[in-house]
Amino acid sequence: MPEIEQTELASAPADQFYSGALRRIGRAMPILAVTLTAAAWWKFGLRIAVGFACGCAIAYINFHWLKRVIGAFVDRATGAATRQSGKGIVFRFLFRYVLMALGAYVILAVLPASLNGLLAGLFVPVAAILCEAAYEFYAALTRGV
Amino acid sequence: MGKLSKLFMVLSALCFAVPAFAQGGTASEVNWVAIASGFSMAFASGICALAQGKATASAAESLARNPAARPGIQLALILGLALIESLALYTLVIIFAKVK
Repeated sequence: MPEIEQTELASAPADQFYSGALRRIGRAMPILAVTLTAAAWWKFGLRIAVGFACGCAIAYINFHWLKRVIGAFVDRATGAATRQSGKGIVFRFLFRYVLMALGAYVILAVLPASLNGLLAGLFVPVAAILCEAAYEFYAALTRGV
Repeated sequence: MGKLSKLFMVLSALCFAVPAFAQGGTASEVNWVAIASGFSMAFASGICALAQGKATASAAESLARNPAARPGIQLALILGLALIESLALYTLVIIFAKVK
């Protein structure tokens, strides 16, 4: 029994640390987007940078909607709140792709944005997740969480 | 038996002759890159959809068994779905890079 209490006490800071992963990823995405857009402008020019920034914006909105849809799904699975119907959750999950495609089409048709830059910008969430993984590895080594 | 062997010999000769026929003339070449790109995107989309369905089903089952583990399962599900979606995007990028 004391071992269990010690384990619970030791895992409390770790749980607190790892529960903030989504918040840190959400903050890392705009920082990465601004930094990499500036780097793309400097290295490849304005057209690629505009496409990259648009891709980052679409990826950020997509990730935000994914979080909201999964929150609603988890609410429904646990029975915590049943404000939304199952059809609504599925519709919102699938409607993300339609909105992403429409956004990409409008951006490419109206703005002088590069398609390659747009596609590269869509990977900002992956870069943010990799940064979070590296930070958690660093925290595990230094702080032992 | 003799007729059957002659028939197979003629058929095999015709099979060898097909590439020779294809080389002549001005027939338009088949764009294999575009066909392969379509198939690869279809495979990637289908397999990613299967993976997302499997991840979501497992998360729902885990939440039903242990609702107290909600924060960890929700985090893992969000990250898992985002990474699975990125796999389909990798294929799309490769297609755009190869098909101009």
